[in-house]
Amino acid sequence: MTLTLFLQQFLNGLSIGSVYAIFALGYTLVYSILGIINLAHGAIFTLGAYFTYALMGGTFGFNGLLANATLPIKLPFAIALILGSSLAGLVGIAMERIAFQPLRRKGSDPLLTVVSSLGVAVVIVNLIQYLVGAESYTFPADAYGNLPASINFGSPENPIPIRSVQIVIFAVSVVIVAILTYFINSTKYGKAMQAIAEDATTASLLGINTDGFIVLTFFISSFLAGLAGTLVASSVSIAGPYFGIAFGLRGLAVIVLGGLGSIPGAVLGGLVIGLVEAFVPGEYSGYKDAVAFAILFVMLLVRPQGLLGRRFIQKV
Amino acid sequence: MKKPGALTTTFLASVTILLTACGGGNNGTNVGNTSPTQTANNTGSTTNSSGAIPIGIAFAQTSNVALLGQEQVAGAKIAEKYFNNKGGINGTPIKLVFQDTSGDEAGAINAFQTLINKDKVVGIVGPTLSQQAFSADPVAERAKVPVLAASNTANKIPEIGDYIARVSAPSSIVAPNSIKAALKQNPNIKKVAVFYAQNDSYSKSETDIFQNTVKAQGLELVTVQKFQTSDTDFQSQATNALNLKPDLIIISGLAADGGNLVRQLRELGYKGLIVGGNGLNTSNIFPVCKALCDGILIAQAYSPEHPGEINSTFRKAYTEQFKKEPPQFTAQAFAAVQVYVEALQALDKKSKVNNLALPQLRNELNKQILAGKYNTPLGEIAFTPVGEVVQKDFYVAQIKMDKDGSQGKFAFLK
Repeated sequence: MTLTLFLQQFLNGLSIGSVYAIFALGYTLVYSILGIINLAHGAIFTLGAYFTYALMGGTFGFNGLLANATLPIKLPFAIALILGSSLAGLVGIAMERIAFQPLRRKGSDPLLTVVSSLGVAVVIVNLIQYLVGAESYTFPADAYGNLPASINFGSPENPIPIRSVQIVIFAVSVVIVAILTYFINSTKYGKAMQAIAEDATTASLLGINTDGFIVLTFFISSFLAGLAGTLVASSVSIAGPYFGIAFGLRGLAVIVLGGLGSIPGAVLGGLVIGLVEAFVPGEYSGYKDAVAFAILFVMLLVRPQGLLGRRFIQKV
Repeated sequence: MKKPGALTTTFLASVTILLTACGGGNNGTNVGNTSPTQTANNTGSTTNSSGAIPIGIAFAQTSNVALLGQEQVAGAKIAEKYFNNKGGINGTPIKLVFQDTSGDEAGAINAFQTLINKDKVVGIVGPTLSQQAFSADPVAERAKVPVLAASNTANKIPEIGDYIARVSAPSSIVAPNSIKAALKQNPNIKKVAVFYAQNDSYSKSETDIFQNTVKAQGLELVTVQKFQTSDTDFQSQATNALNLKPDLIIISGLAADGGNLVRQLRELGYKGLIVGGNGLNTSNIFPVCKALCDGILIAQAYSPEHPGEINSTFRKAYTEQFKKEPPQFTAQAFAAVQVYVEALQALDKKSKVNNLALPQLRNELNKQILAGKYNTPLGEIAFTPVGEVVQKDFYVAQIKMDKDGSQGKFAFLK
């Protein structure tokens, strides 16, 4: 592999890895609070992209039940992104109330909650298809202003072109991770969330509104999913209602690799998976998913707590 | 903190559930058909309760394959309305019975079994993907129910059985035309990069044809890059290929993945010609790569400008409803229904189809389909004894997009 190709694939790996990281942050937040995997996270990811698309274009597209329906507003991309992600966050809250809270109150097995979240995912995906069809939707070319399609990080003789949208995604991901890290570690709300993650019963006895913080967690998690969905869609279009499924699978690999419940772990795991995928040789490039999951299984065998996860010590 | 033992169990269960339940694309596995399908034991009337003759339509209406399936459904519905308005089968209307195959083999098998045993159709049009046909067609073959493929272009589809035929010309005949058109536009093409979706039978079959054509034309195949139909990020594959400086790129995939790949290749600076396979042969690719779709060459088994009354009627009906030119998949679905209608009409003239027992009707209908000649929107077609379509007219189209990328069309090359 030439140095040029190495640098190019390294940058490719960073950009896609940063998306995996931001996606996995939402997974890991819910997991650290409730100890469950929310399989509807990929569907919320897709939903966020559709919300932003509708808010930006003032239209729901030309297919499905909402064909040619219009909104009274057309927002700039940045505002539509925040608003669309917020709507995804609200859907996350509704999902928690409908599919998670009743089971939690009954003290159901975590696996039932997982199945419940899968049910939500299937319903959301099919609802999307019913409302807006299976067609792909692409954000306008000027979503990021007048950025060139790609930026050359090399010389004219040895070009290393990287798509501008990937650079934007990487930068936004870094900012989001920084904000979330600050929120979790340095604010009263973040510390309360950490307390619930450590021991929900004790946190509740200390006066922390556990139920309220679970709602907040779902909002943040789904907001991040919607944000990640929009960022990815701005790069590769909204590739139909099933768009988020592949990301859902990779997100699982990322959080296991990084360490279940670990925010830095989600970031590290995302970057590692992204970089490994980027360096899969061309003739095996169709096996990227298999590589990601092979890493996951090796990690489960060698270091079950993941790269940055904490080992569970049972007192006897 | 939570107990990792229980959580690991939960996690692995989650992965299992997600992997088995959420596969929107084609996973490339072959679903075995272990239980022989029972032929419907129907010796009574072949018309359904509404007095119409039921024809099964098995297309993908959900999953990521619905992009293609929806175009096919549109063609079948136009055909149903058109032929019923013309009197159906010598006065008896036809009734299309739709079953969703989704995007995988299991969905296609379920749809076929429902159509055969519950809906008691006289024959089936479908499924959408060749990948599905290899699993579902044997179900119909064992039940002795005729199947007309409207979009299966992989090798060996008609050879699945005596009851299997297709109106969709095989890639081996259609696909090479686009490479020849590319060489006509740029005779200096020397280095070729090929991309294909490795989890899709049709794409695999088509890429073999493309690669053989590339070699036969004396061109250098510099790289073969693989992807999955569910992929959205192709930067590593695109980077690998572009570093080898190809003059031509050939893509075998479906609309969403293929369109995304085109977009990323263009954004990374590729300016050469791109040839797309049959999976990209749909206007549904326009919203994916928008202005960057411009210039893609795709071989066609249908042209909206094909002369003839049936095509102009079909084209008019489609454009009135959808405000755009009909795509190939829609025309082929229309043609498949037309073949059934005209075969049934011919059979009805010999012996009233309403009086035939269903197994006998299915058997006679299969023979009649293979014996007939049909003047369809695709042009005049017939079938070889094995069920392969015989078609004369093929085309190459080049995608032309408006500057803002909002509108596009397939411009047919002379």
